[in-house]
Amino acid sequence: MKKALSLGLALSMALGLMAGCAGSPSSSTTSAGTSTSASAEETVITFGIHVANPESQEAVTWQIVQAFNEAYAGKYKVEFQAADTETHTTNMMLQATDGTLPEIFWMDASQAPEYAESGYLLDLSDFLSQNEAVDTALGGMEDAFNNGSMQYGLPYQCNVQGFFYNKDIFDAAQVAYPTEDTTYDEFLTMIEQLKAAGTTPIAIGSKNSAYAMWEFNEFLARYGWEEDIDAYNAGETPFNNEKLVSCFEKVKGLADAGAFPENMATIEYFDAKQLFVDGSAAMFGTGQWDCAAFDESLGDSIGFWWGPKFEDSDAEQEIAMKVPSAPIVVSSKVADDPAVQEAVYAFLAFYYSEDATGISYEGSIFPATNYSGVAASETQYAMNQMIEALASGWAVPEAAPDQTLTPSVQEALYDGLFGVMQGVYTPEQALDNMDAALAY
Amino acid sequence: MHWLSKKRYLVGMTLPSLLVYTVYIILPIGIAVYYSLTKYSGIGKPTFVGFLNYARMLEDKVFWTSLKNTMIMFVLAFALLLTLSFLLALLLNSRLKFADLSKSLIFSPAIIAPIIVGIIWVYILDPNIGVINNLLDAIGASALKQKWIGGEVLSPYSIAVIYFWQQLGYLTTIFIAGLKMIPEDVLEAATIDGTTFPQKVRFVILPMMKTTISTVAVLIITGVFKIFEIVQQTTGGGPNHLSETLVTYSYAQTFDSGNYGYGMSLATFTSLLSLLITAIYSLLTRNKED
Repeated sequence: MKKALSLGLALSMALGLMAGCAGSPSSSTTSAGTSTSASAEETVITFGIHVANPESQEAVTWQIVQAFNEAYAGKYKVEFQAADTETHTTNMMLQATDGTLPEIFWMDASQAPEYAESGYLLDLSDFLSQNEAVDTALGGMEDAFNNGSMQYGLPYQCNVQGFFYNKDIFDAAQVAYPTEDTTYDEFLTMIEQLKAAGTTPIAIGSKNSAYAMWEFNEFLARYGWEEDIDAYNAGETPFNNEKLVSCFEKVKGLADAGAFPENMATIEYFDAKQLFVDGSAAMFGTGQWDCAAFDESLGDSIGFWWGPKFEDSDAEQEIAMKVPSAPIVVSSKVADDPAVQEAVYAFLAFYYSEDATGISYEGSIFPATNYSGVAASETQYAMNQMIEALASGWAVPEAAPDQTLTPSVQEALYDGLFGVMQGVYTPEQALDNMDAALAY
Repeated sequence: MHWLSKKRYLVGMTLPSLLVYTVYIILPIGIAVYYSLTKYSGIGKPTFVGFLNYARMLEDKVFWTSLKNTMIMFVLAFALLLTLSFLLALLLNSRLKFADLSKSLIFSPAIIAPIIVGIIWVYILDPNIGVINNLLDAIGASALKQKWIGGEVLSPYSIAVIYFWQQLGYLTTIFIAGLKMIPEDVLEAATIDGTTFPQKVRFVILPMMKTTISTVAVLIITGVFKIFEIVQQTTGGGPNHLSETLVTYSYAQTFDSGNYGYGMSLATFTSLLSLLITAIYSLLTRNKED
């Protein structure tokens, strides 16, 4: 009896252990990388997205997914695996290691090449050749995610980045709106006037959101980033060079002029955005993904500007920061299951279709695709401001400057920019850190 | 229960725990130590680099800042928590009015998730929207306003205070439990012998609570080296890593910068430092006991 009791006890503990070690049940359709059938016919695929609440934070993508699920009800279904950008990035790294990547996922452009080289991503050349209409509609924007041997990703959206400004605040402070010819010195004067009027000139937050530096991509581009990036990445030209020091000094100049919130170290990107939509800040650097929020809160008071021109730079100044956004990629494991691959291809075909492009424009998001006759409506004020800025026909870079670096150098760039803004680094120190990150 | 002490039953009973311990503690530590000797981004294959990551730590200014911040938090938290939680336990153990209510109130921060604790304190310490600076403004003491968090100096001190607030009730409860274990007759005998309260504490209570004090001390040491959520929520380690602790910096290197190997070397160092301090403490207190 005692022996039996002892044996039973040990057995139950062992079973308890095994139960604890067991993975989530395969019927859980929300678990990462799980492709399962809710019914005999329906194939469920997971879309790993970089926001915690896709319905409100990536409303267009959410709507496209809902439209897809509706169109293919009973056959295919897409479910989100949602987490904020940093958590999502961490999750993808961990899931890649244990082989549980979602079928489709958003990926930072700086990290995707390494995932591709390590065999975690599916070559989408096959998908493009099977879907010529999509290939044509992308118009070459997908080239940013082709490493010469494979098409490892497709652009999630088309990003247009720069400064949004609140015309009402400018009017109240009697400050003229910035134009495409506004110089850096004029910008500084503008900052001083806005500051004197009692408003925060530029809303920005660095806490857990160092990536939120989109407006400074234009600064980097106007100091010749695109011409020099290969030499930087190859280590032939140090980041700490005359051009980039001048560029970072301009960022320091803004900080010295009091352009940024005093508590920028303790607020996040979303807090900074709130400052802008509340009317507490005159300008906010971001991209088209925030257009819908601005339409709702600021209406036709919104303006858009690429940023100042720099008279001390020999580089091209007429640059429009219209770039492919980070890619969406497909796990290479998808190829192991023809049914899942079929579902993924069906979703991608839908995501880049004319219908989805229409949904994008309705939600004030520039899609990666172009279809004639699909455009923004009159009441999409923020987006129309961007379209107006794009009408100048300026050159566009192949990729946003921050997306052309390896993850560690990219992090050093973010760290450096915010370090200069917060007076922690001199421009030279910030750039030295980038060189050190590259050298490691 | 003699039958349970037979070797084969002992082995059978301890095997599951041993297996869990090995799989979830020993193995991950071993893997972390291995990766700390490699250059690895978390993706692809690691390259063995020997002790290069550890050498890099010596030249890394942010590492030294993180170490300094961690030690500031450790010294402050250790001194404040150990003494004040003990004194508070003495107070709450006496027959005070509303002692139970006070215990509940003091313990309540311990049941709040650390991430929520961080959010609460952002609204208290934030230089712009925080209660403290706004209060100072309201009473005309604007000159005293500080960047309690998010500045270049005060963040580690503020985080230590938050950790203190969060842990005080929990540790006080442990001390109260320890005090309850002291036999009533011993304390009565001391009273009859005419000891004053400080004497009673010095010569009766403290010696009889050595084990409890050691437990609390080890909890503080290991706890401080695991402070993560509070930092992430209040400052995110910023501005520019100036408020990083060893743990948050290890996380930032591992997952934000993609320096998995270097991040693991920081994690390994942190574990060793925590072990070292715990060992030193044990050694010092053991000597005293001898």
